[in-house]
Amino acid sequence: MAIRANPHLIDELEKYGAQDVVKCYHCGNCSATCPFSGEVFVFPRKSMRYLQLGLSSRLQGNLEPWLCYYCGECSEECPRGAEPGETMMSMRRWLTARYDFTGISGLFYRSAKAELLAIALVAILTGLGLTLFGLAQGNINVYDGPGAFLPAENIHIFDWIMAGVLVVLLGINCVRMWWYTVGSDKEVRIPPGDYLKQFFLVPWHFFTQRRYSQCDRKQPWAVHLVLMLSYLTMLILIMFFLHRVQHGPDIDWKVHAFGYVAAVGLVGTTIFALAGRVRKTWTHYKHSHETDWIFLVLLLVVSLTGIAQHVLHRGGWEVAANIVYIAHMMGVVPMLVLEVPFSKWSHMAYRPLAMYFSTLREKVLLAEEKTEPRPQSAAQTA
Amino acid sequence: MEYEPTIVGFLCNWCSYTGADLAGTARIKHRPNLRVIRVMCSGRVDPTFIMQAFASGADGVMICGCHPGDCHYLEGNDKAYRRFQLLKKLMAAYGIEDQRLRLEWVSASEGERFARLVDTMTAELKELGPLKLPPDLSLVPGPCPDPTAVREVTHG
Amino acid sequence: MNQECRIGVYICNCGTNIAKVIDAEGVRNKVADLPGVACARTYEYMCSNPGQEMITRDIHEHGLDRVVVAACSPRMHEPTFRKALESAGLNPFMLEIANIREQCSWVHDDRAKATAKAADLTHAAIRRVARHVPLEKQEAPYTPVTMVLGGGIAGLTVAVELADAGQKVHLIERESRLGGNLGRVDLTAPYLDSARDLLAEKVVLAETNPRIDVRLRSTLTDLMGFVGNFTATVTHQDGSDTEIPVGSVVVCTGYREFDASRIERLGYGRHPDVITSFELEQRLRSGKMETADGRVPNYVSIVHCVGSRNAKYHTYCSRVCCMTALKYGHEIKSALPRAMVTDLYVDMLSFGKGGEDLYRRTSELKTMFLMFEKEDYPVVRAAEADDDCGLLVQVHERLSGETIDVPADLVVLMVGMQARSDSDQVARTVGISQDAEGWFIESHPKLAPVSTPTEGVFIAGCCQSPKDIPDTVAQARASVAMVLGFIAQGKVEVDARFAQVDGDLCSGCRVCNELCPYTAISYDPDEGRSEVQSALCKACGTCVAACPSGAITARHFTDEQILEQIEGVLAWSTSQP
Repeated sequence: MAIRANPHLIDELEKYGAQDVVKCYHCGNCSATCPFSGEVFVFPRKSMRYLQLGLSSRLQGNLEPWLCYYCGECSEECPRGAEPGETMMSMRRWLTARYDFTGISGLFYRSAKAELLAIALVAILTGLGLTLFGLAQGNINVYDGPGAFLPAENIHIFDWIMAGVLVVLLGINCVRMWWYTVGSDKEVRIPPGDYLKQFFLVPWHFFTQRRYSQCDRKQPWAVHLVLMLSYLTMLILIMFFLHRVQHGPDIDWKVHAFGYVAAVGLVGTTIFALAGRVRKTWTHYKHSHETDWIFLVLLLVVSLTGIAQHVLHRGGWEVAANIVYIAHMMGVVPMLVLEVPFSKWSHMAYRPLAMYFSTLREKVLLAEEKTEPRPQSAAQTA
Repeated sequence: MEYEPTIVGFLCNWCSYTGADLAGTARIKHRPNLRVIRVMCSGRVDPTFIMQAFASGADGVMICGCHPGDCHYLEGNDKAYRRFQLLKKLMAAYGIEDQRLRLEWVSASEGERFARLVDTMTAELKELGPLKLPPDLSLVPGPCPDPTAVREVTHG
Repeated sequence: MNQECRIGVYICNCGTNIAKVIDAEGVRNKVADLPGVACARTYEYMCSNPGQEMITRDIHEHGLDRVVVAACSPRMHEPTFRKALESAGLNPFMLEIANIREQCSWVHDDRAKATAKAADLTHAAIRRVARHVPLEKQEAPYTPVTMVLGGGIAGLTVAVELADAGQKVHLIERESRLGGNLGRVDLTAPYLDSARDLLAEKVVLAETNPRIDVRLRSTLTDLMGFVGNFTATVTHQDGSDTEIPVGSVVVCTGYREFDASRIERLGYGRHPDVITSFELEQRLRSGKMETADGRVPNYVSIVHCVGSRNAKYHTYCSRVCCMTALKYGHEIKSALPRAMVTDLYVDMLSFGKGGEDLYRRTSELKTMFLMFEKEDYPVVRAAEADDDCGLLVQVHERLSGETIDVPADLVVLMVGMQARSDSDQVARTVGISQDAEGWFIESHPKLAPVSTPTEGVFIAGCCQSPKDIPDTVAQARASVAMVLGFIAQGKVEVDARFAQVDGDLCSGCRVCNELCPYTAISYDPDEGRSEVQSALCKACGTCVAACPSGAITARHFTDEQILEQIEGVLAWSTSQP
């Protein structure tokens, strides 16, 4: 069955940040350079081809963009000056939009204005809601304890409700990802037992980013890991130890020590990444999509306001601490509500899942190859 | 040692000799049994030459010229063809088998065809074995022949 | 007789070309003691300067009067060695070449048998050369008038250049207008210049220059004589004949395009929106870029190699289609900015100056390139009624391994070049050969690209093989240089090889008179015998073979020479006497 070519696909991907796709003439240098490109998953070349030929359905079922960590070597090696690395990045954005059932993701990626507007709206609603809530039941002069303006227990409940909604949204998108990339493929049937046996890969890759560490360049992996672990530490502190984190003015070293380390990690890596993107130091910092800036700026704002409200609270400036806390929440809520299911943050789910799915596929394909070579046209390897 | 027939080839300069050269340039391998003699036109091939070749020990003779209509000299190959038909009859009279004399058209671009012709003729002659002329046949009077001797037979 | 000769024998190794298969030293040892051989040597490259010097030195030192070179084909280096003999004061015809490369070392593997064959051929050459006699070259005047066949860009260039050099030209064009195939083209690759601009000037110059006699609707129907002294018969459409004396003929008859309907799956002739590249040129020139039912095409699909590089049609590459297709990418985009162009190719051959740059620019216009296997043409079919396109082109895309339907409103077939259907007539009339595909054959593919085996007849442009405009013009100008060379000399050397009648032997039977294709033999009733006019004779030797009284001699191909050669090749091959 022939697939219909969509000559407009490149135009579409360009809105997601693809660059110079047309320059590629398939010499394969990119795939030869990439340490991850192998027998089954030949990238970035194959993905580039799908894109050039406008094979939307093939691209949608393709896991390869998630297997790339954008070290940038392929873009540097490209003799045509095409940007395979950045194109893989744009494909991840496009795939994120494809997995998202609400269509919000695509809207954000295609229009920075829409995303900024949504962030502003959610921020204002959050700020307004929390202010009204604080005024109704607490005292602006009190940060924690009885009569607190924004009591930790209420915020905690709010956090958990929000997390629940996000998990549902992201979960649905993850199921869609599974369907596109693995579930709907009748050619490659994955035994259910394999799903169980290999499931450990999801947490393994989530926590270690083992694959990223196998890139030729270790530095980007280190930066990314520090950022991710700092963020994760902060998330755990907030989701499980919010009361102890907020309680003051004493310093509860058992939790705060983690918080300080994570805060340094977050601020340090965010500033590093922002500076890198401004100065275009690394290949993968050379091209920045609007969403990259929004993500980093939001993260920095959230980190800095978080630190500020903590310092103000410990310093006894309760009113200021409460105001900055609201500002902090005005950053946190849009960041989580909009970025996690619909934008850049979603990759924390898609990447480990892609490692998991690709391992499953690879096992089936390699086993089949041992018994009989597959006809090339039928092989939808990704 | 295996019997290897010797074939004398008369190749016209414009088509067939060029075609044989092309077989060389294209490295088209073939049997080493043919000995080529270049003539300007297949029409130049005097029946004496053929009889002399057989008398001197050739197992076969192959005349190659341009395809009909392609002759560099307009119609020399037609003349060769007509002469060839007469010569065939004469050969039969001498008891020389039909396969031992061939007239083939090989153009300047037919290196491959030339090579295959050499191969097939060599194979046929191997099958046939060495040429045995009747012992009492004094085809050629002496070491340096008088060309008119045979010509009288041809035209007479 | 041999004992009186002093023959030098030189066996060439040709680097390893000969030595790899033939034991040159063995051949040397075998022939060194033959009667008449004064010296026999082997050498790496006989055609090199030291090789030729070896011959000239030996001629002086050993008093050689004849030379045999066992090396490559005489078609390659016979003129070289003749010059060497001449420079040493020998008559150039005292040379014989044994072809032990093209017809021996390159086609055989068995070293022993190849060496034996080489020895036989060398032996034959020694026997033959002993019978050689000095021949004197003759001269004839050169008529400084040139006939150019074909009024395309090649023929126009030749005519205008020659006229500019002050020479008289007859430009013969079969059609009713000048311009040829280039006149059917809109822009040219890679710089997108207008073909009209390229042509218009040349056409005006050809039509207005008094030294150029333009004859439209005319063909050359007969060419008699020889270089410098041809008589050309030009026949007009209305049947009238004109005889024109000319010195040289430059053949620039061009090509015709491949008939795309031969490849059924491409749908040409079945779908009105499947058109050939020339039909697209026509639309681009008229500015009417639309489908058969008058819609503006959203998708244009270009298919390469139609009839070219395919075992079933033509195996050669037509050389201009890739660049032309890239050019269409630009032209279509500029005529229809919203249209999507897809380009289905086998291999993208964007060679030469400006080629790669054009490819890059076309790809930047978002032309979608799809690669197909050359024996596996795409299949064109009508789209469904609810599709956003009129046609679908199904292609097995090689780089992705996918079977893909490409949307199209217009499919453009890059039809290749093929030899004109009347090229065999032209070849026969002017006395040149064609290759298997019908293209005219040049004397040497690299060293003599516009000459032909018939002296005074040159070929230029696409009648020789597919080529682009720069190469065509280069060939046209090269043939102008060849013609001007003749004109500068004002005379030609007539081949020393011609037939001679021995008046004492001739019985006046007049068999030869009828046989001669050039009517070079006439009968003198007073003397009662026939005579050959040497200038008209082309030395085919047909009369020689037919003369019942052996009165005609073919100079340099005498009966004695050939009979010696026969004896020579057989002397060692057989046990018979």
